[in-house]
Amino acid sequence: MDFEERSTHVYRQKQMMSREELVARESLCVYEQPAYCVAACPLKLDTKALIRAIASADFNQARQLYEKITMFPHILSAGCDAPCQEKCKLGEVGDGVAVRQLEYAAVNYGEKSKAKGMFRFKKKQTVCILGSDLFTLFLVGELAQKNYPLTVFCSESSAEKFFLSCIRSQLEGGDSRKTFLLEDLKALKNLDIRFECGMEFTAPEAEKLRDRYDVTCISLTLAGELFGEVSHDEQLMMCFEKNMVMGGEQFSVRRAAFAAKKAALTVDRLAQKLSPDNSRGEEGSCETKLFTNLEDAKELRRVPVGEEGYSREEAVCEAGRCIQCHCDECIKGCAYLQHYKKFPRVLTREIYNNVSIIMGDHMMNKPINACSLCGQCTVTCPNGYDMAQICHAARENMVFTGKMPLAPHEFALHDMLFSNNEAFLCKKQPGFETCRYVFFPGCQAAAVSPETVKAAYLDLCSRLKGGVALMLGCCGAICDWAGRYEMYDDTKKFIEEKLKELGNPQIIAACPMCKKELSTHVEADIMGMWDILLEIGLPGKHIKYDSSYALHDSCGARGDAHTQEAIRKLLNQSGCKVIDTEYSGNRSPCCGYGGLTSYANREVAKKMTEKCLERSQLPYISYCMACRDRFAREGRESVHVLELIYGIVPGSPPDISEKRYNRLKLKNHLLELLWGEEIKPVELGFQLEYTKDALEMMDDRMILKSDVEAVMKSCHETGEALLDMETGLLVSRARLGNVTFWVKYTRTDNGYLVHRAYSHRMNVEKRMG
Amino acid sequence: MAVSEKNYYTIDPEGKLICMKCQVPLVKGKAKFMYLDNGFPVELPVCPVCGFVYVPEELALGKVLAVEKALEDK
Repeated sequence: MDFEERSTHVYRQKQMMSREELVARESLCVYEQPAYCVAACPLKLDTKALIRAIASADFNQARQLYEKITMFPHILSAGCDAPCQEKCKLGEVGDGVAVRQLEYAAVNYGEKSKAKGMFRFKKKQTVCILGSDLFTLFLVGELAQKNYPLTVFCSESSAEKFFLSCIRSQLEGGDSRKTFLLEDLKALKNLDIRFECGMEFTAPEAEKLRDRYDVTCISLTLAGELFGEVSHDEQLMMCFEKNMVMGGEQFSVRRAAFAAKKAALTVDRLAQKLSPDNSRGEEGSCETKLFTNLEDAKELRRVPVGEEGYSREEAVCEAGRCIQCHCDECIKGCAYLQHYKKFPRVLTREIYNNVSIIMGDHMMNKPINACSLCGQCTVTCPNGYDMAQICHAARENMVFTGKMPLAPHEFALHDMLFSNNEAFLCKKQPGFETCRYVFFPGCQAAAVSPETVKAAYLDLCSRLKGGVALMLGCCGAICDWAGRYEMYDDTKKFIEEKLKELGNPQIIAACPMCKKELSTHVEADIMGMWDILLEIGLPGKHIKYDSSYALHDSCGARGDAHTQEAIRKLLNQSGCKVIDTEYSGNRSPCCGYGGLTSYANREVAKKMTEKCLERSQLPYISYCMACRDRFAREGRESVHVLELIYGIVPGSPPDISEKRYNRLKLKNHLLELLWGEEIKPVELGFQLEYTKDALEMMDDRMILKSDVEAVMKSCHETGEALLDMETGLLVSRARLGNVTFWVKYTRTDNGYLVHRAYSHRMNVEKRMG
Repeated sequence: MAVSEKNYYTIDPEGKLICMKCQVPLVKGKAKFMYLDNGFPVELPVCPVCGFVYVPEELALGKVLAVEKALEDK
């Protein structure tokens, strides 16, 4: 079976999931949720960034952040009761960060921002403010920042006296506090606003002003004095009866500042002649769904505060305690997310958009095919975000719409077809009409360590009663991972038929991924090889080990506590000391083979393997042959549980051709040994040898010996070849399926010596004219 | 598919390649790469007798691979 290449000129579309489902999935990711302190601040101060700036001793930056929320940082920082401090996550395990003192330090030690900002035109609508209290003062700051032509009417004789009157409730606490607060008077004087001082307010006068200005704002105290009892909306800071923006706060700086922010927004709406209660966005403090792991919190005790607040050094030290609340639980353990530097919500949206577009560059094809589909994120994410399901759905969608390139998966798919054709074997145990069991070792076990498969099968045949059939093949995981759903259905049917021919015996799977995959579509009972070994005991001649191994749990066993436990029991019985790490059990990362990452994106697959190996310096033991192979390829001492149990010394990792050869050799050897069938090797008719460089090059370029043999057979028969006079090498080629393979070689006495090999997917032909 | 007369790539064998079947040197000839229903006219070493078109290793692993990858993501 050859796979048809896609065409870039075929346009088919299918929605990957509904918009509602997309939004529901995205909402599970809390990466962008505000930190607890930020969410608690009604003034929307980026507290987390401010603390970060102080921790790096950048007080100027910290002050700039603070000045974003107010024109009067001294008054606010000296008087704010800091609700953020109570919400600090560190408070759950120790002292929360002293945010209030840090804000004070930011204003005290940081320099006022000198940036002038963009030049902005004054607005046309005029606004006046009547009265002197904290609310009106903060409102002056807010409206001046919004560039309204602003007039302040006050009974005091000057702007300075207006300022002092506004902050009268805050002046207790000594001269140094007063000096500190008076710093904000400079800010007030720098504002481009007009003062009408020495006013003697009357109700008709106030109403006249209201008619003269587009928007009139008044302090609640003054309004009470002028109009008697009036009602006002505390959310909008609006008195509809008098058509004035109204508010008042004498004592709480934080409440006054927040009321001024709400009032300023109402002024904006009124100035544009819009209803003040629409389109206001999110105001005030909010809830956050953020999750933060407190395991990394170290400094739990607050730096003591002196009478004068923190010194610079103390402030830096206290800010350094902040753990900068964030959620990256999935990213920490996943080489894939780390490689693409994206968190699941963004990745999901980009993948969704990628499969939705018809023409143009599909920039997310690579990330879609690079996920190992291992499902680690479903365990590490506090909300169980399933990136694997999204990538898998995207792959199936791309296959359906004809947008899935063949290149990333074609080799693996051919490998699977090889497993279920030339290398497939399904036989009852010799001497048995029916078999109670069938041993299903998995394609990678036969590819990487055929001796182990043979030893395990012979052991099962000798110790289990009722007959053990053997099935060498692929469970279908490969085409499932590739998103080739039609091929997957065919494979499922094929396996089901073969099992039926055997009388649907109980399956003994030696690979956790096969066990998982088969259990989704096969009716027969499935158990792990490890379960059988626990039941019948270790083989008699097994070696007693006393070494320590770091145990790598297979991603196929995620959520399968029974298998994870059985493997540990088995290893314990064989004398091994098993070391578990932070990412053992259900949190285990993928070795890089899963999801066909090692075929589609070797760079990411390598990072995945390295991620697995960074957890321990010990030799690794695993119960999936693909993991065992990838660790060995990275140069780590690596052994499979069954290799250890059957005393098979792990050999050096086989190259891609050896993996195929091993499967075929195992099949033929067992056919001869157990069923007496002699398989005659296919003769090429000439001898083919390879240089060491050629073999390494072929493994790296995913070129099989069988590909080279096909090229050489073709050239041997047709005589088609070139001589490169510069190198003295002969060159031949053949188109096999969707790939053209080229071989550079020299002639030997009995055949050929291959020096180089390369391939390309593009078809090339002679052009007429 | 109509292929324009523009050549995207040109290699001249300069008499350094010999077709072993026809025993003649390869010459610079017209060829085209085809991939995913897209065609690219090029000039490559071609045997003037049997039409064998040669794709050098550097070209296959360089420009050809880059264009393949670009087209696969279209």
